[in-house]
Amino acid sequence: MTISELQTAIQDLVQQLTAEAPGVDVRTKYLGKKGLFNQLARVLPSLAPEDRKTAGQLINEVRTQLEATVLEREKTVGASTNWVDVTMPGKKPAVGHVHPISQAMAEITRIFEKVGFTRVRYPEVDWDWYVFESLNMPPDHPARDEWETFFVDVPDTTKPVEYDANNPRKRHPSLVGGKMVLTTHTSNGQVREMERLNSTPPIRMINIARCYRRQQDATHTQMFHQFEGLVVDKGITIQHLKGTLDYFAREFYGPGTKSRIRPFHFQFTEPSFEVDFSCHICMGTGKVGENKCKFCKSGWHEVGGAGMVHPNVLKAGGIDPEEYTGFAFGWGVERTYTLKPGLHIDDIRLLYSGDMRFLEQF
Amino acid sequence: MNILIPHNWLLEHLETAASPEELQRLVSLSGPSIERIYEREGEPVYDIEVTTNRVDSMSVRGIARESAVILAQAGVAATLKPSTIPTVPKIDTSAQKTDSTNLPLPQIKNNPTFCKRIICVVLSDVQHTATPDWMAKRLKQIEQNVHDSVIDITNYITHELGHPCHAFDYDKIMQLGGVINVVEAEKGKRFTTLDGESYETIGGEVVFENEVGEIIDLPAIKGTANTAVDNNTKRVLFWIESLDHEKVRFASMKHAIRTVAAQLNEKQVDPYLAEAVLARGVELYQSLCHATVASTIFDEFPGAEQIAPVRVKYSTFNRYLGIEISPEDISSILEKLGCVVTYDPDATAFTVQPPSFRPDIEIEADVVEEIARIYGYHNLPSTLMDTAIPTNKPEGTRFDFEHACKQFLAHIGWQEVYTYSLVSEAVALQSGEPSTAHLKLQNPLTDDRVYLRHSLIPSLIEVLDANPQRPSLGIFEIAHVYHPQPNNLPTEELHLTMVGQKSYSEIRGDFESLLRQFYISELSITEVPSELHQQGEITVTTGSGEVHLGTITILEKGRVAFDILLTELVRILKTHPTYQPLPKAEAVTEDLTFSLPQRTPIGTMIEKMHAVHKLITSIEVVDQYKQNFTFSITYLDPEKSLSKDEVEPIRKQLIAIVNQTFSGTLVGAQS
Repeated sequence: MTISELQTAIQDLVQQLTAEAPGVDVRTKYLGKKGLFNQLARVLPSLAPEDRKTAGQLINEVRTQLEATVLEREKTVGASTNWVDVTMPGKKPAVGHVHPISQAMAEITRIFEKVGFTRVRYPEVDWDWYVFESLNMPPDHPARDEWETFFVDVPDTTKPVEYDANNPRKRHPSLVGGKMVLTTHTSNGQVREMERLNSTPPIRMINIARCYRRQQDATHTQMFHQFEGLVVDKGITIQHLKGTLDYFAREFYGPGTKSRIRPFHFQFTEPSFEVDFSCHICMGTGKVGENKCKFCKSGWHEVGGAGMVHPNVLKAGGIDPEEYTGFAFGWGVERTYTLKPGLHIDDIRLLYSGDMRFLEQF
Repeated sequence: MNILIPHNWLLEHLETAASPEELQRLVSLSGPSIERIYEREGEPVYDIEVTTNRVDSMSVRGIARESAVILAQAGVAATLKPSTIPTVPKIDTSAQKTDSTNLPLPQIKNNPTFCKRIICVVLSDVQHTATPDWMAKRLKQIEQNVHDSVIDITNYITHELGHPCHAFDYDKIMQLGGVINVVEAEKGKRFTTLDGESYETIGGEVVFENEVGEIIDLPAIKGTANTAVDNNTKRVLFWIESLDHEKVRFASMKHAIRTVAAQLNEKQVDPYLAEAVLARGVELYQSLCHATVASTIFDEFPGAEQIAPVRVKYSTFNRYLGIEISPEDISSILEKLGCVVTYDPDATAFTVQPPSFRPDIEIEADVVEEIARIYGYHNLPSTLMDTAIPTNKPEGTRFDFEHACKQFLAHIGWQEVYTYSLVSEAVALQSGEPSTAHLKLQNPLTDDRVYLRHSLIPSLIEVLDANPQRPSLGIFEIAHVYHPQPNNLPTEELHLTMVGQKSYSEIRGDFESLLRQFYISELSITEVPSELHQQGEITVTTGSGEVHLGTITILEKGRVAFDILLTELVRILKTHPTYQPLPKAEAVTEDLTFSLPQRTPIGTMIEKMHAVHKLITSIEVVDQYKQNFTFSITYLDPEKSLSKDEVEPIRKQLIAIVNQTFSGTLVGAQS
């Protein structure tokens, strides 16, 4: 090779580098061990001895030039010498999962706390008086059939005092003792909250707790969770109940979700309501295109009960029903949660199965 | 309680052009909930949930009456058809004296305390004809068995009009003495119901007895075999009684006989319905069984009294609804529902006399409900409260903190579980407490849910055992445990319990990191004597002394449990640290490896080492190989940098204390 041939080869190499497409690892290609520069340098012994000094200088110069160009290029395109396989799957840290019921309870808490509700906790094993009697359900009342109650096996030491709906506090367990039950609903918190606040409204309570009923199938477990709302003050009307339900529906299920109330009967509210939320699949129409919506009962999902607090319940909590009104609602956390769009849990027993294949999905 | 109402049967009582779907939608919004429409025998049948206070709606006639008002209010033409039941023909007792037309009624001795009304008549020449197709079809639509006309007539009328009725075999009654005494049963009397089941009275049930005290009926609930109609019955005593509803409830529940009749009669069925039921019965026995009316009509009605009127202030409607509805509109709605209403404009109050079939209207709020539902709940505005927000929070409870615990543990690899608070006897015993120290259910549903648990650990072990494919799984739960108290509710303690399958030090590290989230770092765990498993006590030192948080337990299969009382943690947790000024100098850190004898208490040793000098700010175990433990020691003087010469004497003291107190030797050369 002659000097001029070497000069041409050097020019070609410099030009080739300049023209390289982005993404090419030019450092390895040009400056690597088996790179193009080393290939070029290998021609040195083939030159005439008198040209070798000049050639050596030229090769050194081009090395410097190539280095500079590669460096420049690396700065501008951000390519590094360490190639990373971006298709490589990520390596995740071992994380666990907060149980779906905890997630739901936290969300429910957040929603109600934002509008001034105070979350509370009351006994899960409670006196029959708080669970039934103070809620306008005298002993042996047929309305109690709705609740499949677990009784605790302890002697019933209640002193025989006549039930009086107008003065329910006559049979208060602190005076007469009582029968012990597992709470069948979170409504035992109603009179307990009135007592905690010394019978002095305003009350805006949210009580979320474990409840127990003597039943078991795909939609019922012996243990489940309810959340109970109670609002008592001067001037509380059905409109406020509707407002609270609409607010919750939007927050929990997303914008556009509506609520409705229909007549029902509970001993501890009057009037009483069944609460429905509009189906998120058919938006409350009951129809998807020409077909019946398969997810709901004619556009709506029943979630639970509500009503205006019965005057006898206010009396049981030491509050004057002539002065104050209030509303209450109580629903299953499981039922409310499993209606979330796209969740598709069809057997709530899974929640308490401890099966990791289920829990790890949350 | 759900009731099935065939659409075509309803139309016999209701004049309307509403389609079944329209009727379903509108009635559900303002009255009983029509949950489904089935196709039965080629016709639509409504499945309706009627609430327990509205026994007046538990019949075809009752649903027709409600629907008529609701549909009309919603602008759909509808009216309740007048009753077509003819009155019972009077028989001339003075004329013919044949068996088939003039039979003596039994001697009926009522006790008005127990029975508000008794009405009955004797029917003779009763033929056991097949139930006609039209009636059989309706009974099938409402899921009732078809027998023969003599029996099916009573079921049919009960469903149509909502008042149970009974057919006695007249001759059996007469053979037993011809006496019907309404009495409260003594304890220990035997009777056999018409389906052959035997019972013994517990005392206090209202029963019918004959002259010699033999039970001849369990009224309002179920007939007895000794007086029930059978295939040989020729004469029927057609009978309707209005028994005290609490007495019905008592006997029905005590003997667990939950017939349709019992479920209606325990809810205050309207005694004024009895005449129509009698007339309808006579009409059907005559037309279907070719029966003849053979006696006068017995009608004793000591309980004939009006329901107490309800006085309602006009302002009450506004208090509940937040809107003004005119007194005229209020009166008009109530009148459509069968009430008699007077409005006193001076007192601005109504006096509302509910009809006999609405004993559920007792207080102001009941009247408000009637107005609100017919006016339409959907017509009321929806708004959030503008009243004061309560700020009085319960003490000792921090739900935000509980959730933060859950989230932190989950983020570092722990899985939260929810297990049942109720456990089997075997699981209860695993807590180390005898079953007698547990609260037990009186009426458990299944054997595995009998005791209220003392500890979450056995439940969590069950979950780990059920997930063998995850050998390093760690799980936790926050839940109550229950400790019985004499003559009081149990103490409910809120526990956080973690059971893991990693090494003790890893699990302890996770637990310490959790406490660090709440700025708690002064933690010690000391071994305590224990019979079953190795146990330690978790203690935290706070400004106000030592707090025992809970215990650790070394379990089988290399599992470790951390069990703490969450309320104690809530008591000492901090929301922020106390800021320490940043040191002006760099710390000096070096590793020392000691060879230690088996079972050296490393935690105790570190405490002793710490106590050597105040410049030692941290000692951590960074490595372990067999009995060689490497400790990373940090020395720091916040005011100035430490020189080699200053560190050396401290190090020598460390080596000495390990050597003298724990028989450990330094490994390798240390300069």
